[in-house]
Amino acid sequence: MTGLAWKEWPLVGFTLLSQTAVGAFWMVAVASLYMEGASGWNSRYLTFPFLAAVVIVLGLATAISLFHLGRPWRAVLALNNLKRSWLSREILFELVFMVLAASLALLVLKKTYRPTLVRILVALAFSASLFFIISMVKLYMMRTVPAWRGLYTPLSFFGTALLLGSLGAAFSYDTLLDLGRKAPPFLDAAAIVALATVVLILLTIFLFTPGLGLFGPKKATLLELPAAKIYPYLLFRLLFLSGTVLFSFLYYRNPSAPLLTIAFLSALAAEAAGRLLFYAVYSRLGV
Amino acid sequence: MQQAGGSQSSWVRQYAFYFDSSACSGCKACQAACKDKHDLPVNILWRRVYEVAGGNWTKSGNVWVPGVFSYYISMACHQCAKPICGDGCPTKAIYKRQDGIVLLDTEACIGCRLCEWACPYGALQFDEASRLMTKCHFCFDYIDMGKPPACVAACPMRALDFGELADLRKKYGEMSQVFPLPEAALTEPSLVIKPHRDATRATKDTAEVANWEEI
Repeated sequence: MTGLAWKEWPLVGFTLLSQTAVGAFWMVAVASLYMEGASGWNSRYLTFPFLAAVVIVLGLATAISLFHLGRPWRAVLALNNLKRSWLSREILFELVFMVLAASLALLVLKKTYRPTLVRILVALAFSASLFFIISMVKLYMMRTVPAWRGLYTPLSFFGTALLLGSLGAAFSYDTLLDLGRKAPPFLDAAAIVALATVVLILLTIFLFTPGLGLFGPKKATLLELPAAKIYPYLLFRLLFLSGTVLFSFLYYRNPSAPLLTIAFLSALAAEAAGRLLFYAVYSRLGV
Repeated sequence: MQQAGGSQSSWVRQYAFYFDSSACSGCKACQAACKDKHDLPVNILWRRVYEVAGGNWTKSGNVWVPGVFSYYISMACHQCAKPICGDGCPTKAIYKRQDGIVLLDTEACIGCRLCEWACPYGALQFDEASRLMTKCHFCFDYIDMGKPPACVAACPMRALDFGELADLRKKYGEMSQVFPLPEAALTEPSLVIKPHRDATRATKDTAEVANWEEI
């Protein structure tokens, strides 16, 4: 069996959306705790609409993932093997993260919270989301799938979380909530994270250089995807990553909602191509 | 299609298959018997026969010398000692019976296909009709009645045998890995193989599976 790509569209959707939600939460959590941090935490960043958006995007990701299952109505059984299965753990940490993000949203909405409680919830939600992504990485790093076994999987998943998360947070604050321009340091931080992640993603692309990284001089499995089928995905990804950098720079020079929207959508397209390629290179040892 | 452990032989610790590649003629009677016994749908083969082909013709002086070879490998689920399919299963639907047979509880399976991605023998297969995973269960119903698995009984070349793994190893040797099978250390398959004489020449670079479209 080889090449999952389009067949696994529910997993492409699930991983992209959930990693975006997690990455955006990381940006906002760090900003709320450390930017202008003399007063402890900054309520300007941790807003109800943003937290609600995180929960909604995670819910949407979960709903899409059900299309991957043969028997979606039995999905709750997937929590039965926490001791040994990374898939069980992934689902558990996602649910914990969702509950914590929803609790934070309600707390912020009621405005009758203690800053300490918010700090604790943010820290817990941050940890749960980190373990969620780590579980996702471990789940794919199977002993029998050489292409997913190495650096490629963590670089792909953390790369998506950081790129789409930082741009997604900036996009939601500036374009959707019209809060961004009141918080320029936040947008600067998002831009720095996004650019650093583009560099990281370019490094993952080097893993596809023939003879290096993923595809050594000898075939690891019998049905490896030929290079000719890999390059269109890589070219598409490079094209849209270039678009992301270009429109982010234009936005930096002249902040306007359409430019940030195009930068975010361009990053989304680049990561969708990257994720389709991730599933396309699946090929296992043996037969 | 619920599979479960019924009555079972208490003395067996690990059931295993023996396959004699040097005797196999590639007739696929084992494959057909399995499909028939379990009424398997199109695209599901719990036992598959791989046709391995390799080698080349080389010129020696004015003479072309044939160096081509081919042999068959008949594979099912190997009831591994370390079933990698069950390790990742989020619902614990895959488990080992007392006699080592690896079973799939279709009432617990959610069809996430993680086991299919992981198994290096292609033993776990997704049934599009039932939307569930399926796998060879060593004809445990026959075993419990004291009969051999359908594939073993059907082989006209007597290339297949079954029994307690320790006994098979004593009788036939320890080999459990030839091309195109993965390293045995990955899952510790309960399998003993007598290789074809040309199997030592077959590697990823010198041979290939010639019938992917069939399996």
